[in-house]
Amino acid sequence: MSDAKMSSGLSRRMFMTASVSAAAVMPLVNSPTRAAQPAPAKPGEPRDLSAVSMRINKQTYNLALDNRTSLLDALRDHVGLTGTKKGCDHGQCGACTVLIDGKRVLSCLSFAVMNQGREITTVEGLASTGGDLHPVQQAFIDHDAFQCGYCTPGQIMSAIGCINEGHAGSEDDIREYMSGNLCRCAAYPNIVAAIVQARDEIRRA
Amino acid sequence: MNQAAPTPKENQGDPVVRIDARLKVTGQADYPADIVTANVAYGALATSSIARGKVSELHTRDARAVPGVLDIVSYGDMDKTDKPKFGNTGASSIGPLHDKTVFHDGQIVALVVAETFEAAEEAAMLIRADYENERPSASFDSKGVKMEPAAGKSPMFKEDAKAGDFDAAWADATVKIDEKYSTPTQHHNPIELFSTTAIWQGDQLTIHEPSQNVTGWKVELARQLKLDPANVRIVSPYIGGAFGSKGPMTARTAIVAVAARRIGRPVRCVVNRMQAFGTQTYRAETRHRIRMGARKDGRITAFGHEAWEVTSRPDPYVVGGTSATARMYDYGSVLTHVSLVHADRNTPGYMRSPPETPYVYALENAMDEMAVALGMDPVEFRRINEPEKEPIGGKPFSSRSLIKCYDQASDAFGWSKRDPRIGSMRDGDWLVGMGCATAIYPTAAAPCAARVRLTADGEVRVQCGSHEIGTGIRTIAGQMAAERLGVGMDKVSVEMGDSALPPAPVSGGSISTASVCSAVMKACDAIREKLFAAAAGRGAPLAGSGNAKLDLKDEEVVTETGKSAKLADVFKAMQVGALEEYAEFAPKGSSPEALGKLYAGQSEFHGGENDEDSVKYAFGAEFVEVRINSYTREIRVPRIVGAFAAGRIMNTRTARSQLMGGMIWGIGQALHEATETDQRYARYVNRDLQDYLVPVNADIKQVDVILVPEIDHQVNPAGVKGLGELGNVGTAAAVASAVYHATGKRIRDLPIRIDDLID
Repeated sequence: MSDAKMSSGLSRRMFMTASVSAAAVMPLVNSPTRAAQPAPAKPGEPRDLSAVSMRINKQTYNLALDNRTSLLDALRDHVGLTGTKKGCDHGQCGACTVLIDGKRVLSCLSFAVMNQGREITTVEGLASTGGDLHPVQQAFIDHDAFQCGYCTPGQIMSAIGCINEGHAGSEDDIREYMSGNLCRCAAYPNIVAAIVQARDEIRRA
Repeated sequence: MNQAAPTPKENQGDPVVRIDARLKVTGQADYPADIVTANVAYGALATSSIARGKVSELHTRDARAVPGVLDIVSYGDMDKTDKPKFGNTGASSIGPLHDKTVFHDGQIVALVVAETFEAAEEAAMLIRADYENERPSASFDSKGVKMEPAAGKSPMFKEDAKAGDFDAAWADATVKIDEKYSTPTQHHNPIELFSTTAIWQGDQLTIHEPSQNVTGWKVELARQLKLDPANVRIVSPYIGGAFGSKGPMTARTAIVAVAARRIGRPVRCVVNRMQAFGTQTYRAETRHRIRMGARKDGRITAFGHEAWEVTSRPDPYVVGGTSATARMYDYGSVLTHVSLVHADRNTPGYMRSPPETPYVYALENAMDEMAVALGMDPVEFRRINEPEKEPIGGKPFSSRSLIKCYDQASDAFGWSKRDPRIGSMRDGDWLVGMGCATAIYPTAAAPCAARVRLTADGEVRVQCGSHEIGTGIRTIAGQMAAERLGVGMDKVSVEMGDSALPPAPVSGGSISTASVCSAVMKACDAIREKLFAAAAGRGAPLAGSGNAKLDLKDEEVVTETGKSAKLADVFKAMQVGALEEYAEFAPKGSSPEALGKLYAGQSEFHGGENDEDSVKYAFGAEFVEVRINSYTREIRVPRIVGAFAAGRIMNTRTARSQLMGGMIWGIGQALHEATETDQRYARYVNRDLQDYLVPVNADIKQVDVILVPEIDHQVNPAGVKGLGELGNVGTAAAVASAVYHATGKRIRDLPIRIDDLID
């Protein structure tokens, strides 16, 4: 025990910031219509805000974000879409899964600035404007594929990705390709049953 | 067939869809860290990197220089507050910022508050501490730990259970086993991160934080901050998994509240996964020695259970699961002793079936060993030792359907096809093993209040300060009201998770269904009484009908003889628009001050083995098949069958899901979960979800839950036994027994990993 320095609390995010030297201030929640302009960098404040334009659930958002801001934090803290959940911030639990250009991505492992011009779909963007649920959402209700519901948005987005990828052919495939999404309540058998139902319904459609 | 919605059997409620299902699949269920808060500042914790000693100096200059940093709360800044208390409401007596003593690794040394999350995290990492460092004691085998008898150290564990003359019976026993077992450190790791959001409006404080005990926290936080409890509100409408971790309030809550007051802005602190391992509670490691003696005919004559549990230096946290193991079978004689071992660790806390999970694991493993030693079928062995009365106090069981559970589960599993010879059921490259074990959980209840309102158009609102941690309590409280008031579930709304609501006990100990439903039932029955009196009154729609013969169905008051009156007409006759009743439920045996304590945030538990009239437990039987690859020793669990009897089942859907999830927890306990501790530094090593293994989807295949009908009028007015913590008891022993059956290797230390099975 010779090392008396703080060593706990080291995270991916902190590791990233180790190569940069100062932080910047940013607006909290940006409106989807108003374009936010990055504040000019002041002397001694080398870390710039970046202007990012993203399509989220078919709306355009113009954001000014710290370059270190993850897509997950951008969605939750800057756009106000909190349906996407943070469970680990390390890409280990799947709770933050969203679709980017139709493919499932862990939003905690993606910098917001990397998603310029991309089409992002979150759980809030699945149901039709008339309120009809996506077949995966309905199947999750039918099969009680959640208890606390916290991992559920990520499970649903991942399930849509899984079906789209063609990885929902068998129950064994579903189990394998859904294993990046942890469910601590352990609704796994119900999640598999839900995805089978939704897969068949999507195929019929 | 939809397995998620089992057809109800006798004394079982409909598999009603969760009342909040739509909110949860659309991302609209707001967990505490989801509340959009204007002008919120972000908090990040800095934690100690030693486990024992003192902080001699804290260096915060670099952190303060990070652009966007607003404040740093550290030593001295909490001096005007009272230290946390250890107990039912508080996780630990350690006030990390009240003095500079370090009691465990990962103890809070500062909270940084900044304009952005990124700035807060960056600054927290730049905080440096100098320490007066002492060598810590990590666990059982470390130098410097302090051991003491556990009995009497906790109000929950008053004495070591014993019965008869164990020493004589042990000496006389013809078949004996004397074995040691252990269970590892485990962390709850709900997927929702721990968080606190503190908002001050004048002297009113609102805390958004996932909580299993909003009323208790309100009172305890008010005490720490020296506020009137009426000025503190804890809001926690949805909780992203709890498993006990959100029962006790930790020191962080008051620290975040102080930070918010200092900067005059709301503060949100979401604790990262790694820091949660040291700043929250956990299941401490346990050790067991079991001595069991039996006659050749399979009757147990002596049962000895000694156990050791780890806790922190200052707090005597004890689970003492011998109170359950000592009452499991007809032992003849019983001797138990539990010891607490104080080490330089954070204080442990409740984790799903706190006493039963580790203790019953040891007992049930020993039961299997004894069955093998006797050359007896393990189910038969349990049948032979089924007690008529519980062996310690000689009280009857309020109900005990264990053998029914064994019969139904073994049939469904196909236990009769099991060849008991070790390694005899090979399937190609896979060694097949089958094992079974008993699940047990005490049935308790605590005082609870609820308010129910029924309007003339049949809308029902239920209000109760209980907590929806994923159990389905919101749904079944609604079901109880819908049933008693004769309306459809679409007419029912349920408000929970707010200390401004009528108080409910801590959502722990599997007491919520019994406590909440009993209170809701009482409020509904008061409404029924008023309605019936009005409906049958002079000139009323059902004038002349006796009260007792009336019921509510489909928004009508109905008589036995088939007459009916629309709810709206009865309300019209009463000249009121809504009926609202506030009810308080207190379980039988409650002290005169039990209800008063409810409002003071204290939950007085009744039931289990502590009642005068009977002992109250729920039981189950679990059967597991394991497959072990003969080359790689990979262990798979292709199927598990559990049969459970828990009195009235309110909703077969939510009950099945909870028991299924519990059994999967049991598989995780058997094969995956363990927090590894660096014994040199008393530091948790695998502090994330990559290295702290929990079952994933691919680990689980077939899970069958059988709900065995059981009627028990003694337990509580609702006739309900809790089952949230039943499913994961015994599972690990069933897996260990199956592993033994497949390989001949008896693994007594959890978890069972591939390396345990390599020759």
